[in-house]
Formats: sequence, C-alpha cells, structure tokens
Amino acid sequence: MAATVLPARAAKGGRPRRSRRLGEHLAGWGFVSPAVLLIGLFGMLPVLWSFWLSFQETDLTSPGEFAGGAKYAELVRDPLMWEAARRSAVYTVLFVPLTMVLALPIAVMLNQRIRGVTLYRMAVFVPLVTSTVATGIIFNWLLNPQFGPVNAALAKAGLPQQGFFQSPGQALFALVAMTVWGWLGFAVIIYLAALQAVPADLMEAAALDGCGRLRAFRHVELPLLAPASGFLLVWLTINSLQLFDEVYVTTKGGPLRATTVVVYHLYNKAFVDFDGGYAAAVGCVLFLVILAVTLVQLALTRRASSYEVR
Amino acid sequence: MRQPSGRRFTALVTGVALAAGLASGCGSGSGAAKKITFWHGYTDAQATAIGRLAGEWNAAHPKQQVQPVFSNNDNTLQKTLASFVSGKAPSIAYQYGSSLSALTGRRQTQDLTSLVNGSPDVNWNDFFPAARQGATASGKIYGVPALVDNLGLVYNKKLFDAAGVGYPKPTWTWDDFRSAAKKLTGDKRYGWAYVSDGTEDTVWRFLALLWQAGGDLLGAGDKEAAFDSPAGQQAMQLLADMAVTDKSVYLDAGDQQYLNLFNSGRVAMMWTGPWDLGQINKGVSYGVQYLPGKVTHASVSGPDIYMIFDRKAKDAAWPFLKWLTSAEVHLRFAEQTGDLPLRASEQKLPAYKSYLAKYPGNKVFIDNLNQNVTKARPNIPEYPRISQVLGTAVQAVLLGKKKPGPALAEAAAEVDRILAGS
Repeated sequence: MAATVLPARAAKGGRPRRSRRLGEHLAGWGFVSPAVLLIGLFGMLPVLWSFWLSFQETDLTSPGEFAGGAKYAELVRDPLMWEAARRSAVYTVLFVPLTMVLALPIAVMLNQRIRGVTLYRMAVFVPLVTSTVATGIIFNWLLNPQFGPVNAALAKAGLPQQGFFQSPGQALFALVAMTVWGWLGFAVIIYLAALQAVPADLMEAAALDGCGRLRAFRHVELPLLAPASGFLLVWLTINSLQLFDEVYVTTKGGPLRATTVVVYHLYNKAFVDFDGGYAAAVGCVLFLVILAVTLVQLALTRRASSYEVR
Repeated sequence: MRQPSGRRFTALVTGVALAAGLASGCGSGSGAAKKITFWHGYTDAQATAIGRLAGEWNAAHPKQQVQPVFSNNDNTLQKTLASFVSGKAPSIAYQYGSSLSALTGRRQTQDLTSLVNGSPDVNWNDFFPAARQGATASGKIYGVPALVDNLGLVYNKKLFDAAGVGYPKPTWTWDDFRSAAKKLTGDKRYGWAYVSDGTEDTVWRFLALLWQAGGDLLGAGDKEAAFDSPAGQQAMQLLADMAVTDKSVYLDAGDQQYLNLFNSGRVAMMWTGPWDLGQINKGVSYGVQYLPGKVTHASVSGPDIYMIFDRKAKDAAWPFLKWLTSAEVHLRFAEQTGDLPLRASEQKLPAYKSYLAKYPGNKVFIDNLNQNVTKARPNIPEYPRISQVLGTAVQAVLLGKKKPGPALAEAAAEVDRILAGS
C-alpha cells in the first residue's frame, strides 16, 4: 500500500513535515513493539539460534564446537531420518485430505437452519479445544487391543480384533484417525465461516435462474470456498508435518518406531541422545521443506481462486 | 526407578502447568540469606512427607533454608538440563539413577566423592550396594541415594486359588513361572504383564531375566555387548514363549494400565516394585515373592539419587542431604511413604518393626536387597542409547516381529557400534 501512496505524494510535490512523520513513526512502532518484541524473542530468535546450532557439535548444555555441515551430512546418511520422513509424508497425505473431505459435508449440514444447530456446532468444535493429553488417554483406552470398547464392538460384529496403537502395522493409521477426529472441528469452522460469507443474493440469483440446490452448491458455493480450502490445505499440512504431541502422549514413537515421525525423531535426538546439532539440523531441513510445500500450495490455491480478480 | 504409578499423564499435565510457575519460583531465591532449592517429583503422601521433613530442617537451620519444589519425574533430566542453559540450576534435584551418566560430564554437576570420604558420619557403606552403585560412575560419587527399590513377583491370590495353581515359592523356576502364567490365562485374563513400550521400563525387566540366566549386559570394562549369549537367548526365548506362543502376557504399551488390570483381576502376576503396592486396591488379596529363577533369582534395582548442581550451595546442601538420608530420618520418611530402607542399619532401629507391620509386602523387597540385588546397570554415557537399542529388540520379540536370535544379534552389533564411539 505504501508503494501506491508515496508516488502520489511525490507527484503533489508536498513534503511531509519531518517532525510529524517522525512522531507518527514513533507512535506506530510504539504500538507494534510489544508484538515485535515477543515474536522476535520467542519466535525469530530461537529460529536463528537453532540455525546456528545446526552447525555445531553440542549436547545443548556445554559450549559446542563448530562442526560445519557435518550434522547435515549425518542426517542425509541416517536411515532412521529417511524412515521418519517417509512416515511423516504418509501421515500428511492421509491426514490432510481426509480432514478436509470429512469437514466439508459437516459444514454444509451445519449451515442449514435446523433446530439446535448451535448445539451441533459446539459438539463438532469440542474435540479441538480438548487437550491433546486428554485425547491421547481416551484414544489409548478406546483402542486398547485387549480391553478397549472398539475391539469389543468389533468382536460383537464378528470382525477380527485389531492391534491399533500396539501394532507396528496399524499405529500410524490409528494416529491418523485420532488426529482427524481432533482437527475436524477446526476445518468445519473454517468451511462454515466461508459458507456463511457466500452472498445470499448470489444463491438467490442462481435459484431464479432455475439452478437446483446441488448445482448451486457445485457451481456457486464450492468455487467460493476455494480460498478456505487453500488455507486449510496449507495450515493442516504445516501442522501435520510438525506432528509431535499426539505421538508423545499415545505411542511415544513406537511400537518399533512405527510412529517415529520427523519431529519425534528430532525430539529423540535432542532430548534423549542430546545431539543438539543434529536435532537443529533436522529442524532447519523441516523448515525448508515446509516452506517449499507451502509456497507450492499457495501458488496452486491462488490459481484456483483467481475468479476473485476477474 | 521411581515409577509414576499410573499417573504418568497426570504428572505430565501438572509438569507442563507448573513449568511457568517453576521458572519464576526458582528465580526468586537470590535475595534471601541461603536458599537451597530442592527439585523433586514427589506427589501425595510422599510430597507431604518431604514437606514435613524440610519444615523440620528449616526450623532448626534458619540460615540454610530448604525450599522443596515439585518438578517432575519422567522429564526431570530434561528440565535439569534446561535449567543449566538458563543458569538457574536447582541446588539439589532428585534424579533417576539411569540419568546419572547423562549428567556426569556437566560443569554444574558436583562431584561428592571428597565430601563423602571426608565425613565418616555419612557411613557410606551402610547404604545398600545397589544404592551406592546407583550414585557412582567411573569411581566417583555424584549423588546421595534417594530411593532404592527392586523388582519382585506380585500376585493376586484369588486368581491363583480360582485356577488351582499353588502360590509362587522362593524357589520357583522359569518353567514353574511360565506354566503358572499359562494356567492363569483365560478369557480376557492374563497370567503376566510386561511393559512393552521399548523404554527403560522394558529393558530393566529384561536385565533381571538376563542376570537370572547367568548372563550380563556388557563385557568386562563395558567395552562390548555381552548379551548375545546363551543366557540372552534363553531370556529372550522365555519372553517369546510366553508372549507369542502361550499368549499369557498382557503387553502394556507404556500407559501403565497393567496395575489397573491387576486391580480388576485381569492380570494375575506382575514384576514390579514396592511403589506399586500402595496402589493395589484394598479388596485385592495379594502376595509378594522373589522373582522366579534360572541360575539365580536376580532382581534389578533402579536406584534414584539426590544430586547437587550448584557449586555455591554445595556446602549448605550437603548437611541437609546427609541429614535427610540418615538412618533415623529416612526411616521416618519411609514409614509415611512405603519406600524401602536405604541403609542396612535402618533394619536395626526400633521403629523398623512398626514400619514392617505397616508395609508387610516390603519384606520380600528388603530381603531381595540383602541377597538378590547384586548387579547394577552400567553407569556409562552410552547407556541411554544402549537401552534404546535393547528396548527395541525386546519389543520386537514380544510383538512376534523378530525371533530371539536375530533380535539379539542385531542389537549386539548396534551396541558394539555405539561403544566403539560411532
């Protein structure tokens, strides 16, 4: 915006009074400085510090030694790192689309004028505000292979018993199910807000033109939801690549490392093996991967939402 | 190893919630005369007991005020290390014995060897051997014993009666144990429970098995793996036979459900320590016995220690620790908490009788300390990584994903690599 204002001023030839501008600047900085300070202190500084750390051989407490790119080389050669990356990828590819695909119909339903809609909306939102630790305990109990209600129900239905979190082959999928449940409310709220922002006259016009409810959804509402979908895609992807808490409170990366995703691997390296440099290197690589994925997704979303400009 | 006794998650939540308060709490002591900050993970009765003792000390020593602060059990190592970075290290902190090797190399960690040797009134050799070993690394003393425990066989008498199985005897062999577990297993009921999350909780029970079969974890001088041996094979095979073939073992994924299941009559036997006895429901009639044996009936101890991390507070913290772990004071603490005695001489004090009357189940664990706890986990910096490797191997066998032979061979090769320094 500043770019458009400044030339206009220059064209008028008016020179802003220096003192007033300075005063405005100071006031502006005064307003933003608490946020800048906090974000700088707790956001930027740790990021820069961990970047510097990734070139060190350090146990995090005693002063480290400069190690150059050794930690990055170690990371590339570490089979556990690649395993963890593959798991994070599988998790993300399942978690993100599943959450979005399930959230959309729920949001559409909650957008209807039905009795008690507030109650339903709240019910959908509750998992999101439930603490991860509580969620973890509940799912550990629900999915307990020997005594959990889920296996009991499967047995009643004559279906085979499952190992869930205790089966190396199923744990990651159980984690997907648990986190989809936890994040669904978030995606529903975003979609719901977007649906409510669809102008009523657009829908009215579509109806007048003889457009059925389903076609109106397909050709009017759905395109208008593209920015919301784009946001969800980016946001959920970032979060699923950073998956940690849910693993920590359920499987602790097991069984047999089946749920050791990238950030859990990082945690193990940093706080079990005390290899701070390696862990920081993982963090930096993850940062770059997330940055790249996000940029691609943003570009794709922008193209999909380009009707706004037209 | 003091277990959070099924309250691991509660501890985690409280720990996180308290983190903020803790950070401010330990920073505020600088102005006062001589504040000794004392991090611990005690809850319930233990917290009350330690608070009372600290109060008693403070009343008698106005110049050496001890301030107990709840930190956490499971994450206490991480928190302590974080405090080193922030420069606000606690004067004293309760640490798992298994964390010692991660702390010995630090500038903040105080070597207590000369203090111990210089104070005959400590009577160091009065501490049980397992407790002493837990506080010692490469010949140096870094801590004062805070807790010594060990594993015993705790069983539900009613389930034994119902299955027509005789109660465990001190002379039980592995075969007796396995066949009893099999008979006790039935519809939604398991003979035994084993923590299979691959952590140290998985490993130390395996160490007991390994020692019972006459084996050991590492070779002489801790330079190479020694567990890929006939003894190791037998130990792993027992786990495979019971967990995979007989399916008589409830595999606890690390959420410590085994105790709840013992309480509800779903698990008939557990290998656990005195810390769990207080959590057994009143209605459950249980007995305690030595672990079953092969060559020996070896048990394993997870001794915990108090360590000093503040050089300036060292002189003030030392008398307090000496007092806290003296026979008379510790027995008073134990009487309120059910902890085992730290020192052999506690068994000779008059109050010991009422202690035993209050905690009859502890008798076997104390006898264990006197005769079956002879070996200790190696206190070497590589231990945490060795534990991870071995934990994964045991887990793979329990889940039936690997045969004992290959699991041991692969783990031994990995441990050799770790010990060789790569």
